[in-house]
Amino acid sequence: MNSQTRTRLALTGLILAFLALTTLFLSNWSRRPVRLTTIPLVNTNFLDTATVRRSYADLVRAGEDLSDFDCSVCHEKGKAPPLRYDTNQNLIVPKEHSDIVMGHGRHGRNNNCFNCHNETNLELLQTRDGHAVKFADSPALCGSCHGPTYRDWEAGAHGRISGYWNQKLGTAQRKQCVNCHNPHSPPFPSRPPAPGPHPLRPMTASVEPEPNH
Amino acid sequence: MPPPAPSPNPNPAPPDAGISRRNFLRTSVVLTTGLAALAASLKPLLDMNDFPTMERFLQKYYKEMTPEDMEKVLKRITDETEKQYGLRPHIRDLKPMDGVEFVYCLNLTRCIGCRKCVHACVAENNQSRNPEIQYIRVLKLPHGSLDLEKAEHDYNPEKVPEKGFFYMPVQCQQCKNPPCVKVCPVHATWQEMEVDSAGKRKGDGITVIDYDWCIGCRYCEAACPYWARRFNFTKPEIPKERLNPDMAYLGNRPRRQGVMEKCHFCIQRTRAGRYPACLEVCPTGARKFGNILDPNSEVSYILSTKRVFIQLKEEMGTSPRFFYYFDV
Repeated sequence: MNSQTRTRLALTGLILAFLALTTLFLSNWSRRPVRLTTIPLVNTNFLDTATVRRSYADLVRAGEDLSDFDCSVCHEKGKAPPLRYDTNQNLIVPKEHSDIVMGHGRHGRNNNCFNCHNETNLELLQTRDGHAVKFADSPALCGSCHGPTYRDWEAGAHGRISGYWNQKLGTAQRKQCVNCHNPHSPPFPSRPPAPGPHPLRPMTASVEPEPNH
Repeated sequence: MPPPAPSPNPNPAPPDAGISRRNFLRTSVVLTTGLAALAASLKPLLDMNDFPTMERFLQKYYKEMTPEDMEKVLKRITDETEKQYGLRPHIRDLKPMDGVEFVYCLNLTRCIGCRKCVHACVAENNQSRNPEIQYIRVLKLPHGSLDLEKAEHDYNPEKVPEKGFFYMPVQCQQCKNPPCVKVCPVHATWQEMEVDSAGKRKGDGITVIDYDWCIGCRYCEAACPYWARRFNFTKPEIPKERLNPDMAYLGNRPRRQGVMEKCHFCIQRTRAGRYPACLEVCPTGARKFGNILDPNSEVSYILSTKRVFIQLKEEMGTSPRFFYYFDV
C-alpha cells in the first residue's frame, strides 16, 4: 500500500465520519427536548393571608353578625349559670355550647368557665384577680396568665403582624391571640401542607439510613 | 550538453487547464460536508426565541445608569412584559432607604412546615411554575439535631407538624460576606451596602441581581453554601392570570432563560415599607422582618432578648442577615 492509497483511505474515512455526524446533528439526536412533567398550579387557598380565626374586634370591624356574643338571649342577666361536672371533675359542656372543646391547660385544671368569663355579666371576660375585660380587649386577659408570651407579643416577637414594617409609610396590623388560638382549645391546629417541590430530575424519597458503626 | 528534451507524454495535462474531474468531486464533497456541519452547529440559533434587541444589547451597567437611562429601560421592560403577558406592569427602581438595614428572624419553635411561604413567594415574585423555581426550601429535621444531612424537603404527610420533627425554611441568607458576589465574573450580582472612605455604611444589605447583566455562568450558584440561587434553564412559564404586576427592576420583573435568580427580601415590597410576602402569609407568625438599625423594631427585640441560636452554617464566615431563633 503506497502513501497515496493511505491518504485516500484516510480522507474517505474522515468524510464518512463527518457525514455521519451531520446526519446525527440534523436529526436532533443530541438535543432531545427536556420532557417537562405537568405541574398543577398551586391551590389559591395556600396563598391566603387570612388568619386561622377571626377575633371579636374583626367581626365588629367587618360589621358582621354578632349574635353569638349576645348571651342574654338565652342566659338570664346578672345571674351566674350553674356548672355541672362528671365524677372525674370534668366540666360537662351543655349541648347548647357543643361546639366548645374544653382543652385549655393540661389535666383538666382549667375546667371552670368563670376562670375567664365574668359570672354575672356573660358579655364580659374577667382576669383571675377579678378585673372585667371586654371581648375586644381579650389579649389583656390572656396576658394575665401568659406573661412572657404577652411581653413578646407586645414587642412584636410573638404572633402575626401584617402591613408595613415602616410606620412612616403605612400602618401595621397586629393580630390578637384569638386570631390564631381558640381560647377553649389553644394549641395551633395542624393543617395539610402545600405541595412540595417538583425537581427536574426526581430524587429518591429520603436519605439512606446511616450504617451502624 | 544540451538540456534533456521533455519526455514525450501521450496525454499531457497542462497545469493550468482547469480542474480535473477527480479534484472537482473531492473538493465538492469536502465543501458540502463542511457547510452541512456548519449549518448543523448553527441550527440552535434558529430555536432562539428571545433575541436581544439593540436597545437591550447596549444597555449600561446598573450602577452607571442615569435616572433618564433607567426610565428608558423601565419603559422597555414594561413594553416587553405587556407584549408577552397582555398586562401592563408597574415597574419601579427602588433604592435603599437611609438608616435601614434589613434582618430576617425565623422562629423554629413556631414553624409548622406548611410551605405556605414557598408558594406565596412564587406568586409574589413571578417565578417559573414549570419547570418549578422556588426560593424557599422547607427542611424537615428530627428533634434534637441540626444535622442537615438528616433533612428532608419532599415530605408530604396528611397534616403538619408531624410529631418528633421540626421544620427549617431555608432561603437566601443575605450574607454580610456573600460568596456569590465574590465569584461573579461580570459584577451582575452585588450587595446593596457601600462603605465610604469615612467608614459610613450605606444600603440595606440586600444582595441583588441585575437580570440584564447576568451571563448565566452559574458560578454564584456553585459558591452559595445555602443552595439559595436558582437558574432559569428554560424560558420561565408564568400563567398570565397569576402574574404579579407590582414589580421592581432588581426584584420580581420577569426573567429570561439563562439568568440566575434568588430571594431578594421582596425588594418591591420591603423598599416600599411593607413586609415581605412570606411573612404576610405565615399562619403562625414564625417569620419576623425589620430594620435592625431601629432599636424599637421586632427584630432588634428578638436579637437582644430571645434565644437566637444560629446563623446557618456559621462556620462558613458568610455572616448571614437571616437568624433562626427559639421561643423558650
